[in-house]
Formats: sequence, C-alpha cells, structure tokens
Amino acid sequence: MTEPHTARPRGMGPGEGPSRGPGRRPGLIFDWLHARTGFRGARHVLLDEPLPSGTGWFFTLGSVLLGLLAVQILTGAFLTLYYAATPDHAYDSIRFIISAVPGRIVRGLHHYGASFLVVAAVLHMVRVVVFGSYKAPREATWLSGLVLLGLILAFSLTGYLLPWDQRAYWATVVTINISRLTPLAGELVSGLLRGGASVGALTLTRWYAIHVIFLPLALLSLTVLHIVLMRRHGISGPVRPRPGDPIPFYPWQAARDTTIVAVVLVALAAFAWNGAPPLEAPADPSDSTYIPRPEWYFLGLFQLLKYFPGKWEIVGAMVVPGIVAALLVLLPWLDRTPVRDPRRRPLAMLFFTSGLFGVVLLTSLGWRDRPRNVAAAGTWTLREIGGRQFTQSRGCAKCHATEGLADPLEALSASRGPEWLAGHVEDPEMIAPGIRESPHSLGEREVAAIVAYVRKLSRQPYPGFDAQTETVGRVYGRFCVGCHTIDGDGGKDGPDLSHVGTKHEVDYFRRLIEDPESVKPDAEMPSFGSKLTETELNAMATYLAGRK
Amino acid sequence: MHRRRALIVFINSVIALIGGGLTAVLGAFATMRPSTRAEGRWVRAGLAADLTPNVPVPRVLSLSRQDGWYRERARATVFLVWDGSKGVHALSATCTHLGCQVRWDEASTKFRCPCHGGVFDQQGNVIEGPPPRALNRVDVRLDENTGAVLVRV
Repeated sequence: MTEPHTARPRGMGPGEGPSRGPGRRPGLIFDWLHARTGFRGARHVLLDEPLPSGTGWFFTLGSVLLGLLAVQILTGAFLTLYYAATPDHAYDSIRFIISAVPGRIVRGLHHYGASFLVVAAVLHMVRVVVFGSYKAPREATWLSGLVLLGLILAFSLTGYLLPWDQRAYWATVVTINISRLTPLAGELVSGLLRGGASVGALTLTRWYAIHVIFLPLALLSLTVLHIVLMRRHGISGPVRPRPGDPIPFYPWQAARDTTIVAVVLVALAAFAWNGAPPLEAPADPSDSTYIPRPEWYFLGLFQLLKYFPGKWEIVGAMVVPGIVAALLVLLPWLDRTPVRDPRRRPLAMLFFTSGLFGVVLLTSLGWRDRPRNVAAAGTWTLREIGGRQFTQSRGCAKCHATEGLADPLEALSASRGPEWLAGHVEDPEMIAPGIRESPHSLGEREVAAIVAYVRKLSRQPYPGFDAQTETVGRVYGRFCVGCHTIDGDGGKDGPDLSHVGTKHEVDYFRRLIEDPESVKPDAEMPSFGSKLTETELNAMATYLAGRK
Repeated sequence: MHRRRALIVFINSVIALIGGGLTAVLGAFATMRPSTRAEGRWVRAGLAADLTPNVPVPRVLSLSRQDGWYRERARATVFLVWDGSKGVHALSATCTHLGCQVRWDEASTKFRCPCHGGVFDQQGNVIEGPPPRALNRVDVRLDENTGAVLVRV
C-alpha cells in the first residue's frame, strides 16, 4: 500500500505511524493481520488527516451527521426484523414493535433520529455558508452536500407512510397530490410515486422499497463521495489562516468530534426513551374529520401552500422551493470571490440569512396555525359510551377474553378500517370462518356505536363513566342517534339536543320520550314508553335536563 | 504526550459506551419475545358418537394463534382414539422425530410417518424407526351434555 503522506504531522505519536516495530507480544496477531491486509495503512489514511491550525468545534458537525446516520441505519435495519409493508399488517406490526420497551426505544431512536438529522444537516449547511467553505475548489463537495440534504428529506417523507396510520396516509395523499403540479410530467411523477390507482398497497411497498433499498444506497454512495471530496481538498478551516503547523485529525479533532457526537446521541436517547409519539388511528380513506399535518420540518412548505390558493398553488408548491434550491445550487458561482470571512461578504450573508429566516418563520407559522378542534377529540361521545355497553352485553366477550381467541375487550384496538370493523361486528364469522360463534343480531346503530367505541379505544383507554351516563349512552346509541345530534355526533332529522336542558325540565323529557304526543301533539318522534325500562327513562330525562 | 494518551482513552471509552448502549438496545430488540398467552383452551373436536372403537380418527382443528403481530388461523391434526367404553385419548399427529405428519394405516393398524419410516402403535408408542419418543398426548375430555369431544390446545 502506498502511503499518501510522507511527513508525519506535528503531534503524531511514534507508535501511530504505518510501520510499528515488531516484537510486542500483544501486537503479534495485529502484525500478522497487517502483513496480510495492510490495515494500519487504512487507519493512517482514515484518521491521520492533517487539519489546518485553528480548526475548532464548528467543524464537528460532519461527524455528528455521520453518527446520526449510523444510528438511523442500525435502528432502521433492526426495525425491518418486525415490520410488514402491507396495508393489512403494517399498523399491527408497528403496534407489536412498540408493545415492548426495546421496541419502543428503537422506534423512538429512529423517529427522533430523523429530526436530529434534519437539524444537524441544516446546521452543517449554515456552518459551511458562514465559513464560505463552498467556494472554489470545494463546489463539488457543496453540491454533493445539497443532494445529501435532499436525500435526508426524501427519507423522512417515505418513512412517514410506513406506520400506515391516519397521519401517514393523509401526509402521503397530500404529497402525491402536490407532485401532480410538476410542470409537464405531473401525472408521470405522481403515478410513479403512487404505484397503483390510489394510495394503497402498491404505494406502501413502493415507498418501503425506496426507504430501505434505493435511498440508503444513494445516501451511502453520496456520503462516501462527500467525504472523499472533503479529504481531497482538505477541510476549509478557519476563515482566515491561523499561524501554526497542521494538526492530525486523530486524536486532537477526533476528541472534539467524539464529545459533540456523544452529547447529541445522549440527547437523542433522552427523546427516544419513552418512544416515538403514539400511533394514530389506522389509515382510513373515508374519514373526513381528520386534519392532516406534516412532520415539523415540512411545516414551512405546508404553510407556504396556504398563501398561494387556486391556480397560484404551483408557485408555493414548486416555484418558490425551486428558486430556493436553485439559489443554493448556484451559491458557489454567485459568490465567487475568494474571500471567506462572513463580515466581508455582506450580500451573500444577507441573502442566506433572510432565506433561513424565511424558512424558520414559515415553519413557526405552520406550527402555530393548527386547527382548534383537535383538542376536542379527547372527549367521549354518547355513541362511543353506548358502544362500550353493547360490547359488554352482546356476545363479544365469548372470543374477546383474556383466555379467548382474540384480544380481550378492554384491550381492543382497531387495526383495520371502519368497514372491516362494522362487517366483523355484524357477523364475526365472516371475518374468521369456522372459528367464532354465530353472530348475534345487532342493529345498524349498535354496530355503528361499537365501531365508534373501538376506534376511540384504540387511541385512549376507557375512562369509566357513572351508571347513569352509561345507560344514557346505551339508549342514545340504540334509539336516538339516528335522528338527534349531541355534541356534533348524530343524525339531523330531529332537533339538536346538545343544549336542550335550557328549555325544559326533567318531567317534560320523561313524558316526551314515553309518549311524545302527550306533550307535543304534532311530534313526529315515535314513542319509546314500551321500549325503555323505568331506569332508562329516568336516566335519559335527567341527562337531557342537565344538557344546559 | 500524556494529553494525547488521555484523549485516545477518552475517544475509545466514549465509542465503547455508545457502541455498548446501542448493542444492548438493538440486541434486546432483536431477541424480543412476544408475550405468549397461556395455553390450554378447550376446542371441540367432533362428537363422541362418530368414533369407532380402537380406530384412530383424524380431526382437523382450527386454531387462532397470535404470532407476534399476526393473528394466524392455524390448522392442526389430532387423532382421537376411543377404547369402546368411557376412555378417549387424543394423539398429536406430529411425528416426534422431525415433525412430519403421521397417518393411520388401517391395514397394519399402525401410525406411519411418511418421512423417515417411523412407526407407532395405536397408543402412540414407537415400534420402529428413528422417532425418539411416543407421539405427544393431547388432553381430552368428553362433554357429557352434548356428547362432544373437547381437546386442549
């Protein structure tokens, strides 16, 4: 192996050179290995890079990125041990992964690692711009870095779909629809991204393949290229040369790198300790109440779209991001003087800082501009409470028991869409022929209530309600919900009952439910006197009178 | 040179700590065992009235098994053997040698394994061939009310 460096830089120890003297016993096997492979030369090439005097803490960000990439690749590779990329199983497989502590931590590391990578990559870019490191002869290094940043964002985008929950599904639908705005090739690009006719199984396998095969190969090659280019020209070092001899990377700068990498990884571990944010409900293409929001680092783009409605949308989706990307690509040629000191290139700094400020501003605006009704999702509707009662009283517990064929009732969690659930509730045999008991006759509304209940239960445990509320839930879910609405859930044929208690007293409601025509001769509501027990009538009347 | 040595020790220790931590977490993850539900559910395996004395009858059971994230609807074969009076026993059809499925040979009244020539008698004991032990017994009971044979899987 030829040695690229003839002179040993200052600070290199006598034992660290390529030719370590033979005869030391512990080194015997390494001597043999070195004679066969020349590995000490490789170590010399990798670690003994001479750095300009004055290279400091700002130059550790590249190593931080390498460390984070290593964590992403490792955790990602291990996550594939359990992940299944099909719409029927993706959600279940993720739920299985996070069912135990190690799985929660590994997924947490991978989830937050993506955010850490984006932040570190942007900081690295800021460092390069401020230090003018993109200038000749390092333009190719700059360009390969930009492609790497794009790859990191592509990783985030494709990884986002894989859990196949609501957030994943809708973020992908939006992304693919944006891609249709691509000039000339809109249908081609969106078709390539989608795989099939709509976002589904073919999209999932496609994005999975891109995420775990295509992008990693591209990322690894580009990373190697980026580092080779960096080594070819040496690192740029301080903006003005400092006096002094070059210093070897190892161990002087390597110790700084190790310190920062360790701090970053400890911070990442702290984030990941409790796992990634919980899964949302399984992907449901029919859900019109879901409000999709992208991951935080796409919030800027998300917000930008809001300012360009209608036919101007392409400006926000393609033109502005395209101009920003083009300016970044052209930066080494726009700012071509050899001066690197940021104080002496005010124009370049002004443009870059205002661009960065724009991105930060849009991101924070997007962050704050969140819809209000998200918080309301936490409360339980009467229908959901009723659904709980139906699962208890109908034959569900025969199979959904601790020792049973299926998950116990308390641990139910929807991993399929509402159509599947409704079909299963109506006829369990249909889903599992030959295994389950024959179906119980359930009304359409009870089925809907059970579906609503299981879907809510997937997101939060049943808090428990007093007996009266549960009775009301049962009655409302079975009889009232078809025509009446309470808190936004129910039918529109009858009056909204959300604040009906402001108009009448308990006694009125009791008589109305029992025999509507006795209090309201023109009532279209059927009488429920024969269908409800005394307890149920009283519970309903008391509840309605309490709806102020 | 002391400073240099100290830095090398520092770098190596930090890398060892990070590597050790990652190895521990990823190792625990890779060897993660799903929480298995206690075995022992009784499953209907046909009616006692359908059995013939001393002739093993194969019954295919449908089982629901949780395999990690996958709920599997597995099938398993057991042989029900009725002694003609009150006693019924059930034998697993899985050969104790290498796991092939044995079949009942009416002509010789023996279980034969199609893979490596294992032969078992009607009680499941090894008569010839490589199987190391008798066919596994499966818990079985009769439901007096319905006349159903229940086996525990």
